[in-house]
Amino acid sequence: MRLVDYISLALRNITRRKLRSALTIFAIVIGATSVTIMLTIVFSAKGFINDQFEQNGTFQQVQVSPQTDINWGNGSGQNCNSSDCVKLTQALINKLAKLPHVIGIARQTQPYNFDGLFYGSKKLKLNQVVAYDANGIIDNHMLAGRDITQSDGNGVLTITSDYADGLGFKNNYQALIGKTVKLHTQGYYSGVGSDPVGRQQYMQTHCQNMGPGQNCELPSVQITGKVVGIADANGLTNSSGYTVRVPLSWARGMEENQDYGPARTSGDYCRNMPGPCMPPNVLTVTDELALNGYSSLIVKVDNATNAAAVAQNIRGTFKIGAADAETAIKQQLSVFNIVGIILGGLGGIALIVAAVGVINTMVMSILERTREIGVMRAVGARRSAISRLFTFEASLLGMAGGILGVLIGYGLTLIGNPILNHQLKGNNIGSSNILSLPIWLVITVIAGTTVIGMLAGLYPARKAAKLDPVEALHYE
Amino acid sequence: MPAIIELRDVTKTYKLGDETLNAVDGISLSIQTGDFVAITGASGSGKTTLANIIGGLDRPTGGSVMVDGNDLSKLRDRKLSDYRNQHIGFVFQSFNLQGTQTALENVTLPLVFARVKSKARKQRATECLQAVGLGDRLKHKPSQLSGGQRQRVAIARALAVKPNIIIADEPTGNLDSQHGDEIIKLLRDLNKQGITLIIITHDMNIARQAGRIVQVRDGKVRA
Repeated sequence: MRLVDYISLALRNITRRKLRSALTIFAIVIGATSVTIMLTIVFSAKGFINDQFEQNGTFQQVQVSPQTDINWGNGSGQNCNSSDCVKLTQALINKLAKLPHVIGIARQTQPYNFDGLFYGSKKLKLNQVVAYDANGIIDNHMLAGRDITQSDGNGVLTITSDYADGLGFKNNYQALIGKTVKLHTQGYYSGVGSDPVGRQQYMQTHCQNMGPGQNCELPSVQITGKVVGIADANGLTNSSGYTVRVPLSWARGMEENQDYGPARTSGDYCRNMPGPCMPPNVLTVTDELALNGYSSLIVKVDNATNAAAVAQNIRGTFKIGAADAETAIKQQLSVFNIVGIILGGLGGIALIVAAVGVINTMVMSILERTREIGVMRAVGARRSAISRLFTFEASLLGMAGGILGVLIGYGLTLIGNPILNHQLKGNNIGSSNILSLPIWLVITVIAGTTVIGMLAGLYPARKAAKLDPVEALHYE
Repeated sequence: MPAIIELRDVTKTYKLGDETLNAVDGISLSIQTGDFVAITGASGSGKTTLANIIGGLDRPTGGSVMVDGNDLSKLRDRKLSDYRNQHIGFVFQSFNLQGTQTALENVTLPLVFARVKSKARKQRATECLQAVGLGDRLKHKPSQLSGGQRQRVAIARALAVKPNIIIADEPTGNLDSQHGDEIIKLLRDLNKQGITLIIITHDMNIARQAGRIVQVRDGKVRA
């Protein structure tokens, strides 16, 4: 019997009993779909996380934060201003720089109080302003203009392509270079560019007679900056898609507390004064960054293989948070591995149930076709031919289930990707269409269900082949 | 004429619980090429078992069955299946056609197992159906055919691989006398073309047309 005849006969037998075949295949489809989704999620997540870290030599970096328990990527949080964390002060940084394998440190901080990025009539929500040393440890892929350099000072900034797109410069980034944008801050902003004297006066006239529970809304402040470069939002290492970068020196100014009010030494001033004493107002500038330390550090090590050891050394010696990318990836992946195991287990159980379904269908089918088997034997079918015919039939059921399962899985990635893109965009991660179905996965799933069908068909096929031809011919 | 079929002391026993039943009990028989033999006997006499052993569908418990130089009792399934495929054409009382398939497809079935290619299969099956007078019924399904026509399809199927022996087990049992006569005439014509014909029947009118009658009773040939 020729291969093509096995296939056509098996196909005819499957299509002959459409409902039963469809129900049997349905069970396989459930298993194949969940296994497909499981593999897609696990491998897409792996690829995504690796991609996120692999850019710009991240494996050679250790991320240090004041908190002892940090995750890579979330470590660049607020500056340390509570007592239970070790501040990332310059003194500490000097010590870190002397550790073995450390070849450089980029200090990072994130001036807060900003909430809007304005250009002309366009107003965009401002998610984060970041600043770090322009010493080459953190590289950005620039789409237009240039990146921040060490010689840049106040009034210079770069924005990401997402912002440039939002400002209406999509495909025309060059036109935005040199333009002035405004950073809108909340009223209590007290850094460089604010008006401490005006603020003090405003408070005296507007906020003096307010009752409890009432908020004194200070007028907002806008500070201006010139765009010198557009960074690729997808190529960012340590920040998310919507980001404004300023030079570290400017950020220091932004975090300053410029306060105009009675001098702190007013007690001394009034000591020898008779009657009501009004001490003169003075301007006090506090360097908050020096006081509270940086929000995080990127420590560059000489070799990626030393990153984990350096991170451990930093954690142990200084009681601060230190994470290397590789360890962080392993941690994040373990979550996906658990998800994968659960989905894989469900899929596996579904496939076992499906295999039992195939066995059941085939045994039924053999009972019904006993006479037919007898006839085939009488006209010269060998046992092996009968066996192969039924094994083929079971394998085809498995294959059909696998193909449908993969198709449904693919359909789900088409639905899932836009949802995920939206979610990631919301979390300021510039990445798109994470879920993908590689061809090897498609082949593996279809081949897998085909083999399961084949294995499930072995017992019924054996049973069919062993039928006595004479008895089979007279079977009612 | 050389003997094409040579049975020697053939026995076939069945175990039914504690009892053993001798369906064929020491039959020796030789049939020449081109013979037309009628095997008769009451039901349960063992005539069908005898025919099945000759056709390679059943194996004897003892004795030897030489057909065309092959000892069937010693062949493995693979060879025995090929023997049925190449040498024997079976015609059954209840036709045993596949209801979901057309006359043409039914006739091609033995050719499938003979590894004949699709196109050649259709050609040969058409020839066989034409030979039994059903050249205009190729695409008909068994349910669209009369009993006589169905048995003709079955005969065409038996002819497909050009067998040298046709074994017909009560071929007219499900037919009225007119159609039965037509079928017997068709089989006799085939016999005249040189095919050895073995008909199992309890109808003496049919048996009488055979060149030789073998009467079986209690598993033995009556002398």
